[in-house]
Amino acid sequence: MSASPQRPSAQETETQESLLLATAQRVGRVREGRIAVHLHLSRLRPYNRQDGHLRIVLRMLDPLIHYRGQIFLLSNSDIVFICADAQREDIETIIYRVRALYSKDPLTFADSGDGRDRFSTFYDLEVQYHGFLALAARLNDEAQKRQKEARKSPPLDALTPERLGDIVDRLEEVDIARLVRRQAAVSLGEKNAAGAIFQEYFFSMADLQRAIAPGVNVLANRWLFQHLSQALDQYMLRSLQRSDLRVLPPAISVNLNVATLTSPGFKAFEKWIEGRCGLVVEAQVVDIFADLGSYFFTRDRLRAAGHRVLLDGLTPLTMQFLDITMYDADLFKLNWSPDLADPSQTRELKPLLDELGIDRFVLGRCDSETAIQWGLYQGISSFQGRFVDAMSSAVAMGQCPKAAACTLAQCTARHSVIAGPQRGECQNLPLLDSFPKFKMPRRGQGKAGNG
Amino acid sequence: MAENRNQPMSQEALLLDYLQRLDKHRAGRKAVYIHLSGLLPHNRRDHHIRLAANTFETLVKALHGQIFVLSNTDLLFLFKVAVSAEVEAALVKLRFLFGDDPLLADEMAGRQGAFVTWYDVDKNYDDLIQLARKLVAEQERRRAPTNAGKTGPAQRRPGGEPLNPRLLAKLEDALCRADLTNLLRRQSVCVVLPNQLPQPIFSEVFVSISDLRATIAPTLNVAADPWLFQHLTETLDRRVLALLVKNDDRTLSGDISINLNVATLLSPEFLAFDDNISASMRGTVVLELQKTDLYADLGAYMFVRDFTHERGYRLCIDGLNHLTLPFVDRERLGADMVKIVWDADMARNETLVAQLTEAVKRSGPARTILCRCDDARAIEFGQRLGLTLFQGRHIENVLAAERARKAGPLAARRR
Repeated sequence: MSASPQRPSAQETETQESLLLATAQRVGRVREGRIAVHLHLSRLRPYNRQDGHLRIVLRMLDPLIHYRGQIFLLSNSDIVFICADAQREDIETIIYRVRALYSKDPLTFADSGDGRDRFSTFYDLEVQYHGFLALAARLNDEAQKRQKEARKSPPLDALTPERLGDIVDRLEEVDIARLVRRQAAVSLGEKNAAGAIFQEYFFSMADLQRAIAPGVNVLANRWLFQHLSQALDQYMLRSLQRSDLRVLPPAISVNLNVATLTSPGFKAFEKWIEGRCGLVVEAQVVDIFADLGSYFFTRDRLRAAGHRVLLDGLTPLTMQFLDITMYDADLFKLNWSPDLADPSQTRELKPLLDELGIDRFVLGRCDSETAIQWGLYQGISSFQGRFVDAMSSAVAMGQCPKAAACTLAQCTARHSVIAGPQRGECQNLPLLDSFPKFKMPRRGQGKAGNG
Repeated sequence: MAENRNQPMSQEALLLDYLQRLDKHRAGRKAVYIHLSGLLPHNRRDHHIRLAANTFETLVKALHGQIFVLSNTDLLFLFKVAVSAEVEAALVKLRFLFGDDPLLADEMAGRQGAFVTWYDVDKNYDDLIQLARKLVAEQERRRAPTNAGKTGPAQRRPGGEPLNPRLLAKLEDALCRADLTNLLRRQSVCVVLPNQLPQPIFSEVFVSISDLRATIAPTLNVAADPWLFQHLTETLDRRVLALLVKNDDRTLSGDISINLNVATLLSPEFLAFDDNISASMRGTVVLELQKTDLYADLGAYMFVRDFTHERGYRLCIDGLNHLTLPFVDRERLGADMVKIVWDADMARNETLVAQLTEAVKRSGPARTILCRCDDARAIEFGQRLGLTLFQGRHIENVLAAERARKAGPLAARRR
């Protein structure tokens, strides 16, 4: 077997792609009985093609050894293998097993539209040799280009406990308020008039990484990141209390760890927010489930104080496999992704949305009109995301007497921060902090169902 | 009080002061002492103590009572008799919050006063004063050494110095160098039918965290931060797998279960383990996954679930209790088994028993293991729920006694 999950390093002249090309050229002499297969793993969602996943896929291909299989794991995570004297059904069976591991990835469930299999391509080398040779050459070219690109940006270091210790210490030294971002969630009322229901405050992880941990991928380790997020909670609560917002939204929403909700820092924040505006606490399922007792306890306390609890980060997977009703939150946030619009996904999701109460859903990460249209078609009326941001800054600019000096991109960027030079550039802070009412576009509903 | 002005008065000193002032107003008041210090360390982290104290907040705000959060993590609440019902209700909430702690089991077992102790301020006034004096003295003693040097968190907190990222780095470094062979433990999962001897089905192979802590980090409270602890277990997983591969004793002869993280199942160490056991044996290996780990990345779980099933392994969701089991739909998640951690509190209240019975029915009684069965009551309770699979010290004791009985005549003959 010629493949290993270690991707070829940039310095090596011999790559999996160059080996594949050389092999493809060599088999030209004996094409009889040979089959080549291209597994398009690069089309999988990024989280489904990490090293660990690929390692397992390679393990699943072990039986190819019986067919003198040669396997190439390419630098874009695609796999190509060539085998000899194999029945196509046998190879299909092996691929079927790999495909089954990815039954939850859109690559395997979404319709390609033209009836072609988007997961794998077969080449019968007796008759399709030239096509395969061209493929090998193309893959090699692409890999060389990627290699050149990769040399420009060195890979990020992993987050280790030691580095985490440094990062937590450094939080104290930076002007953390500049890393806070905000984004409104809007609700569409009658005739699609949009009004803000809350404004979410969060840290820009990319900026945070740049400011205190350049070269480290802080998101790469789930548990260590969770620890970091707990430390960040306190900074967020303090930043909000010190901010100079001219107009407060109807409610401030913050993503917090369940453990934070009982901290003195949160108590001080609650006292500050009392009488100023409403509060929505966003929590993650994994954090809640780690300490259910504390969650129910604090949820009741928050409710009694007039606050709301939002269950954040729901995906089709969490909705289908966990009984979300049992968490009994006030609001739910489902993150938009184009996969949702796949008819099979929509069909499965719709009853779950209705069961939880469609009016309690906020569709997050709406970066296009398609997202809004899909949501509206399902009956969702609350939205959040870059598309909503752009709409609201466009409306704000229409109302702003100083707008002539600014671009839409500038206005959107200034809307998203609460401190720092960008905010300083705005000549109309009261308008910047308030949320304009506007109308959402609404197209023919019949079409929206298909995205 | 002769207290240094620069130093805020301790809660203990405030308590003593408050009691002394109550001298003339003893009637119609009660006090309840809540022994949170008796809870397991992972149940009395700072946020738990604050949660517990917050329970009395409304009563305090309405001036119906006064709460003291003592430095040993215990609570003392003094209140007017008129709000006794509200205080009882608050205690019900606390019992729910700490429902999975053995301290509450002790209380149920008839050890009155294990969790709370009641005082009638009028009748027990002198006892209360005595108690407050004792608490002040203890608090002073605890503080004394720290006055001399730097305040060490290890001295302040029960259960040792809390784990932080830097200590975790050191601990993991030590873990990679330590020989874990002596820390590897086995415990049988058995079928136990009423009035019959336990029949071992498979045995869990694990590294005892408390032994590990005692060996390489005796002053550390490794459970203080659940996320850092989870990271530690991933390091431990890889070490255990390496150990199992290296061991050529009977460990790898199948019929075992091992505790692993989802991330570990995606690691080269797991594939090396998989290489080292024969295909026919995989069906007798159970992989135990922690509930939190599963929920952290459902997609990754689904992926490894299908892979490990395809290889023939069986999966068990570990670490559930009466509170969490109803949240886990075993069938929907495609796991083969679930494991509930026994806790005498489960049997305390009929509503809980009914809920648990329902949840067990859904999970499938034949696929549910009750673990940490330290005494016969656990088995009886489990059998009431229709369970047949059990694990714990009690089972080990029965098995050991049975082995001794069988060996007995033989040993005698040899002599």
